[in-house]
Amino acid sequence: MDCIITIEIGTGAIRVVAFDLQGKMLGSSKGAYPTFHARPDFSEQDPEQIFITMLYLLKNFLNEKVHPQKHEVVSICFSSAMHSVLPIDRYGVPVGNAIVWSDNRAKKEANDLKNSDLGKVLYKETGTPIHPMSPLNKITWLKNNDKDRFLATKKFLSLKTYIIQQLTGEYVIDHSVASATGMLNIHTLKWEADALKHSGIKADKLADLVSVFYSPKKIKKEYRASLGLHDKVKIIVGSSDGCMATLGAGVWGDGKATVTLEESGAVRVIGKEVLQDENQRIFNYLLTEGIYVSGGPTNNAGSVFEWYAKQFGDFKKAFDMEDCMEDLINQASKVPAGSEGLIFLPYLQGERAPIWNPNARAVYFGLNIKHEQQHLVRATIEGILYAFYNIGKTLEEHRTYTSLSANGTFASYPFWTQMMADIFNKPVHIKPGSGSDSVAYGSFLLGATEIGLHKNLNEAAETVKLPDSFLPQQQHHKVYMKHFAIFEKLSLKLFDEFEAIAELQNNN
Amino acid sequence: MNQYFLKKECKELHAFPHIVEFALKKTNTIQFDSLKKEACEFVRFYYIIDGRYDWIIEEQHHVLYPGDLAIILPGQNFGGEKDLLHIGTISWVWLELQQLERNGKMAMGIWSGLTESECATIGKILLLINCQVLSKLKEAGIIFQNIHNEFLEQEIGYVTRINQLLDELFILLARQLNRHNNSRRDFPQAFTKLEQTLRTDLSHQWTVEEMAALVGLGTTAFSEKVKNFTGFSPLNYLINIRISEALKLLKRIDVQITDIALDVGFYSSQHFATTFKKLTGYTPSEFRKKHITPNNEIF
Repeated sequence: MDCIITIEIGTGAIRVVAFDLQGKMLGSSKGAYPTFHARPDFSEQDPEQIFITMLYLLKNFLNEKVHPQKHEVVSICFSSAMHSVLPIDRYGVPVGNAIVWSDNRAKKEANDLKNSDLGKVLYKETGTPIHPMSPLNKITWLKNNDKDRFLATKKFLSLKTYIIQQLTGEYVIDHSVASATGMLNIHTLKWEADALKHSGIKADKLADLVSVFYSPKKIKKEYRASLGLHDKVKIIVGSSDGCMATLGAGVWGDGKATVTLEESGAVRVIGKEVLQDENQRIFNYLLTEGIYVSGGPTNNAGSVFEWYAKQFGDFKKAFDMEDCMEDLINQASKVPAGSEGLIFLPYLQGERAPIWNPNARAVYFGLNIKHEQQHLVRATIEGILYAFYNIGKTLEEHRTYTSLSANGTFASYPFWTQMMADIFNKPVHIKPGSGSDSVAYGSFLLGATEIGLHKNLNEAAETVKLPDSFLPQQQHHKVYMKHFAIFEKLSLKLFDEFEAIAELQNNN
Repeated sequence: MNQYFLKKECKELHAFPHIVEFALKKTNTIQFDSLKKEACEFVRFYYIIDGRYDWIIEEQHHVLYPGDLAIILPGQNFGGEKDLLHIGTISWVWLELQQLERNGKMAMGIWSGLTESECATIGKILLLINCQVLSKLKEAGIIFQNIHNEFLEQEIGYVTRINQLLDELFILLARQLNRHNNSRRDFPQAFTKLEQTLRTDLSHQWTVEEMAALVGLGTTAFSEKVKNFTGFSPLNYLINIRISEALKLLKRIDVQITDIALDVGFYSSQHFATTFKKLTGYTPSEFRKKHITPNNEIF
């Protein structure tokens, strides 16, 4: 049987999944690698460990789940997290670790640029909000603060570029990942000259731009032999995790949006227009030529609930997080919607969309003497989902959508998904037992389209069927909206106090 | 009895060549220079029964209260903050172990009933978890009191019993240090800590027992957690780290391949070559040749 393998280079792990050509999952495997924080603002990963993890995982996966069953691999389609920067020297050897999306070292660079005229132009041309996450600001930081490394660098790659280069020898970056660098003009599909100039580089310091369907000519023979792949197997460079999660959830055109609930999260729509937001609150990343995934990311999703569980949960067995979280959700379900007037702003890690305020901090608001632990739990979950709704509301200023599809680890808790339906007042669809594989499924659709199984990605997206649906409950929606009104105001009103408290914390 | 003092030359200690001192001491008046700061020999444990003590251990200031236990390892600096012993009651034991090296390699001696791998693990924990004072450790107080009683009574089997109590003290410490080091809530955090430790001593032949002990879990639960979290068994995860460090060194022409093998923790260059080739399809020298030649240069 023919199969397509997808490889996702995620924030903390590689996921390898095999699908048959009908889209049925044949097996999957995961391998994690660490993120290093040499300083509080730094988040780095070791490109060699990621490469080895990928190779090790893929080899074991092929030997256990693909070759013995006589499945024929047609193609291997990659996807990856966005915004990473990996400097390499003239021999292609990494100059230090890769700087990943969550790295905040370029705070000042981003802030300066955001408030300039150039910043406004660059947002319009590149679609990427001006933020420390984007490679544009990271490379500028290297230029300003780490001259030796900057000068030793022959090219600035994305992690996916490096992994694919190691396998095939070609330095390529797909339009999707490139469009998240803050340096690609999403209208012309060329590197944006002003952005390059700003970060002090020329286009030859970046990888070659290619379509998401592009296949490098060959896999190096040593790796091909080691993996047991024949020479017809194609590598497809693929897209980004965000774009693939959206495609894999079957979102296309008007009417649908997707919500990803992992440690961090996002709300996204797909369409032919760039959503130009005057306040630069929305990102527009390219899926393919002329098709844009627009939306807003949040820093504070599952990670906030995990934080709560670690601090206040009851661990009956050492390290048993799942059990502890289920217990907490059970407690939360005993409190009515709105947590009897308790509101939580979930900004433990600052916030991106829609308030884009790195100084934002978490707040419990409205505590009274009758509130108990279970109110705090419920308010915490409600607050996390209010933040998603806040993004969704911003998107609705530009695009209407009538239903949501949810994916990610935390979307597999029915309590969360129902609450999301109630807060958004829209039905929420979820793939049964899907968990977080919507990225993989998106990559599969891309791979399937590449071999001609679908005419285009639009048709591929239409094949996604999402049966399970959570319908909104009006009476809850009304309660939530009363609380959300306060949530929304507080998120902006506390601006000065957020700044003051962040300064106190940073000076500690 | 408020004072009890055994030194190496005492006949009570003839049966215990590993015990250098055992004491229960009540201080009624302050004497200058009664606890001078100095680099210490032997492993020393001090248990506070009564009083308040200001001590400096390895440049760090600690205030100790009843129920607290101080741990001083060979070579560490220790003494009273004012070089004196305050008013109060303390009990201590000094032990000369067969081996305790800076990398945590520990052997107790024939008196101990601990297995070789238990010793190795406890040694790692003592050395790696840098904790000089464990507070509110009443169980340690009971062990000290029992040792004292055994010395006083010298009933049948007391030699064996005292050695068992010393083993118990080491086990108690190792377990407490683990609890102290890990919240037992946040596995990703505990794993990150462990990973840092592995990387700082990659040439060591880590066993699953040692790794599990550093996280404070049994080997079965530990392996299951690691597999769940990383997708790999503990030893396979370790191979990932070793090979990725090796990759980096292979791309630097100034390092010998035989050195790389041992530095990143393979038994031999043969073992390294086999593992590397199996995973990548290259031998280490082929990999080096293909990856840092002028042909590879980017223009």
